[in-house]
Amino acid sequence: MAAFDITLTVALVVTGAGAVAGALGAVLGLGGGVFLVPLLNTVFGLPFNVASGVGLMTVIATSSVVSSGSAGRRPVNLRLGMVLQIASSAGGLLGGVYVARLPPRALYIMFAAVTSAIAAITVSRLDRRNVILDHAADPGPFGGRFFEEESGQEVVYRTRNLPVALAVSLVGGSISGLLGIGGGILQVPALNAWCGVPLRAAAATSAVMIGVTAVASAPIYYARGNVVPPLAAAAVIGVLIGSRLGFRFGDRARAKWLKLLMAGVLISVSMTYVVKAL
Amino acid sequence: MKDLTLPPRFERTLVRVMLAGVWLSAGLLTCGLALRLVLGHSSGDALLRAGLLTLMGTPVIRVVMSVGEAIRERDWFWMWSTIAVIVVLAGTVWYSLSTM
Repeated sequence: MAAFDITLTVALVVTGAGAVAGALGAVLGLGGGVFLVPLLNTVFGLPFNVASGVGLMTVIATSSVVSSGSAGRRPVNLRLGMVLQIASSAGGLLGGVYVARLPPRALYIMFAAVTSAIAAITVSRLDRRNVILDHAADPGPFGGRFFEEESGQEVVYRTRNLPVALAVSLVGGSISGLLGIGGGILQVPALNAWCGVPLRAAAATSAVMIGVTAVASAPIYYARGNVVPPLAAAAVIGVLIGSRLGFRFGDRARAKWLKLLMAGVLISVSMTYVVKAL
Repeated sequence: MKDLTLPPRFERTLVRVMLAGVWLSAGLLTCGLALRLVLGHSSGDALLRAGLLTLMGTPVIRVVMSVGEAIRERDWFWMWSTIAVIVVLAGTVWYSLSTM
């Protein structure tokens, strides 16, 4: 493992980049890692695994801040989340174990594919309501109920296709462990489109889950020396500041142009990794 | 049918623990960075490691606390799901220690 010379200037730049990534992560519902990992890898020239190690640390920080900030205000389904967490943390563990055996080229191709998929999802995000307006309805073993602002009443939802949700969680966890970007971006639309979970409940539950998923692989990166402490510290501090700000001002910034801008950035990132892979 | 929302008391406790973990780790990381990069002091490295370990430990504490709440609620499915997650995380720790 090469030693990296982290100067105060580099730390401040990484803190600033982390703040931007954290704010975007909170506003758009993405882990900040999807912006930070390519920045550290392509602009700062860090090996991909080192950038991913920092990314995982920022995912943990984002998840902790968002899940503590959303308590009581967002419909977290902890029981569904814990069941899916078995698959996603197993995926995280597998990703952490196998990332060292994959050539960088394979990781670049995977990163290009995932960032393209995220760009498409960001622009065309599904928002199926999936709710039952009769608050006396039975939510079933993995459903839930919450106060929905649109209808001004308590609504119920039922979770369907649990095996699909588990499979998507396993894939999302593996991507988190391999690329350091968090797997929520796959899980949220899948839960919404295929499993009957309203977008708000899917996003709130996923925000809690991605931190534990990242913890299933982050210690492996740490043990291999792929987490450079000063760099990770600078990024985490930035993400903590940025995600607090993003969480606070998120609703005001939810403009369509921001999503389009981010889709453009993600496509650029994807193209960069296609070129790197060739 | 059980109410699937979290009990407010448990939720409040979780939030306190999560926030304490996050801000403790942020404090350790900030002090570590300042010592290491501004003052050039080697003790900053220990604080940076402690901050990162605290950060990684915070979501784990949340999972462990959920076992206690599941037992208190007598929700055995939730309890076994949580224990399964802890087993996976224990696998991560075991693998990490074996590669160090």
